[in-house]
Amino acid sequence: MRGIIFAFLGGAFITLQGVANARISQDIGTWQAATITQFTGFIAALAILLFVRDGKWQGFKQVKPLYLLGGAFAAVIIFTNVTAIQQIGVTFTVSAVMIAQLGITFIIDINGLFGVVKQKMRMPQFIGIGMMIAGVIILGL
Amino acid sequence: MILGLILAVIAGALVGVQNIFNSKVNERAGSWATTTLVLGMGFLASLLIGLIFEGKHMFSLDNMQPWYWFSGLIGVGVVICMVQGMKLLGPTYAISIVLTAQLGFALLWDSLGWLGLEKVPFSFTKLIGVLVIVGGICAFKLGGGRETEKVPKMT
Repeated sequence: MRGIIFAFLGGAFITLQGVANARISQDIGTWQAATITQFTGFIAALAILLFVRDGKWQGFKQVKPLYLLGGAFAAVIIFTNVTAIQQIGVTFTVSAVMIAQLGITFIIDINGLFGVVKQKMRMPQFIGIGMMIAGVIILGL
Repeated sequence: MILGLILAVIAGALVGVQNIFNSKVNERAGSWATTTLVLGMGFLASLLIGLIFEGKHMFSLDNMQPWYWFSGLIGVGVVICMVQGMKLLGPTYAISIVLTAQLGFALLWDSLGWLGLEKVPFSFTKLIGVLVIVGGICAFKLGGGRETEKVPKMT
């Protein structure tokens, strides 16, 4: 039960984050919003890291440098996400983001890109992607 | 309309790749060191791109409200919930619930127009669209056929 509540809140927070970013962008600009919110988040995460002391900084050295740069994508992610919300609304944006995300993960998984374990996709995954695309088309009606 | 969809698809594709990169860091460095790095990188990249496109204008925050500073903490809430949810439920079920909640709240938000975003009127067609997508998520995630799974999404 506790797990369900955490997961549910996690999803609610992700949507809230997109909405808050869109709202703040209206007032101060999108790049400014992305910079400020991530700065605050960074400071908070750093404080928690120092507090819980699970920092395995050495761990960074064992990771391919390319993977350490993943966070930088967030600049473009926030910008495109906020602009999409302003253009087509929250529901449409969240749905399209989700499908693109599962789709790209799907392609990476079946090809074993970026050193992930190669996975075979079966019927349910194809049906799932088909249903999600159908859902977005219904949203657009 | 098409522009908005294209932007959303770009965002989603980047989120997918970013999650994989982040999970690679997570395996070695733990979730808080990873979150700190990810947000730090995102901050630097946003600042840099903002300076390129807007120059000095980046620092004129005329309509700044105090709560804007704190909205970055939502991201920390996301990480805590994701890490705990996945620990307690396993990634497959946790992610299915996360995605469903994300969509449910999106529909609620559009319908109520909270926080001064443009209100998008609720319709049953929209509800059906969302339910079909949720069905698709369940088929994709819970349908079996895949062995291993991925770790947190942090944006």
